[in-house]
Amino acid sequence: MDSALWIAMLAAALGTLLMRLLPMLWMQRHLARRQDNSLEAMPAWLSVLGPSMIAAMFGVSLVPASLTLSSWLATACGVLLTLYVWHRTRSLGWPVFAGVAMYGAVKLLAGLAG
Amino acid sequence: MSSTTLSGTSPWLAGMREAIPLLGGYIPVAISFGLIAVQASFSVWEAVLISVFIYAGASQFLFVAMVASGAPLWLVVVMTLLINARHMVYGPNLAPWLPANRWWPWLMHGLTDQIFALAHSRLPQLAPAERVGWYTGAALLAWFSWIAGTALGAVAGRELTQRWPLLGEVMPFALPALFLVLLAPRFDSRPWAIALGATTLIALLLTLNGWPNAAIPLAAACGALLFQALNSTRTGGKRHG
Repeated sequence: MDSALWIAMLAAALGTLLMRLLPMLWMQRHLARRQDNSLEAMPAWLSVLGPSMIAAMFGVSLVPASLTLSSWLATACGVLLTLYVWHRTRSLGWPVFAGVAMYGAVKLLAGLAG
Repeated sequence: MSSTTLSGTSPWLAGMREAIPLLGGYIPVAISFGLIAVQASFSVWEAVLISVFIYAGASQFLFVAMVASGAPLWLVVVMTLLINARHMVYGPNLAPWLPANRWWPWLMHGLTDQIFALAHSRLPQLAPAERVGWYTGAALLAWFSWIAGTALGAVAGRELTQRWPLLGEVMPFALPALFLVLLAPRFDSRPWAIALGATTLIALLLTLNGWPNAAIPLAAACGALLFQALNSTRTGGKRHG
């Protein structure tokens, strides 16, 4: 990379860090001014936006890399098993492990059948 | 929300353990990034340094693709930052659970989509004294896995994807599975269930229609508006009922 490209990369890196950092510092000051470190002290729209962002990431990540019937079937089976295992265990790791295993098993079976 | 302790486990280790499901999503994507960066004429070290410093998946792909296509560098920087603009809402959402600590400015470098999702669900459940350690463990594991995956992809990405093509397709399912587990407890309330279900559907449709980067902020904004509308209808109904 030449020096101009290094500067561009570092500018993108610094800008990304500041976008992650400055709003957090602003909110911490806002909470400190109100002397209230609770959800009630946060703007309502912001506390709703957090879970919405996670739901949006879920929606985006649901789309498989290859848009085939077997991938969608694997996605549906993986989602259902993840939910089932979460319902049974209320844990974080096992549902994810089970979901990935189911996704992989369906893809493997579809590959063998095809 | 009530606080729970990690019952004797080091917060660092607990954070790392709970971030392990992220690796299924991080490593295959990082391998792809390393491979694409090298194919776009970046050296292995340059690809790794981009992952070290920018550390934001989609924008890194855009960065190398735009540089390779000869786009003006100012436009490369602007587009990279635009894609990452969604990160601006993450820090404020976590702020109520971040105890004062001089390391936060550096730790915020690790605030990716996935770490945000994990921390947003877990930090409120931890005792304040455990939160910095937990976050540090989770964020460092994710960061190192991204860097290691990039290096692996840059050095041996072609061989890996040729030898185990199915693995690269299966492992990323860890991300939707993890997001689902983080969202599931919210579905016990009707307004949340409707708003989050609609958000997921909108994001999915936008992605299918070729808008993967706009999908997250747009769908989240729609979901938040829908939740507010449902909530105001409900409280309005109660007031008049």
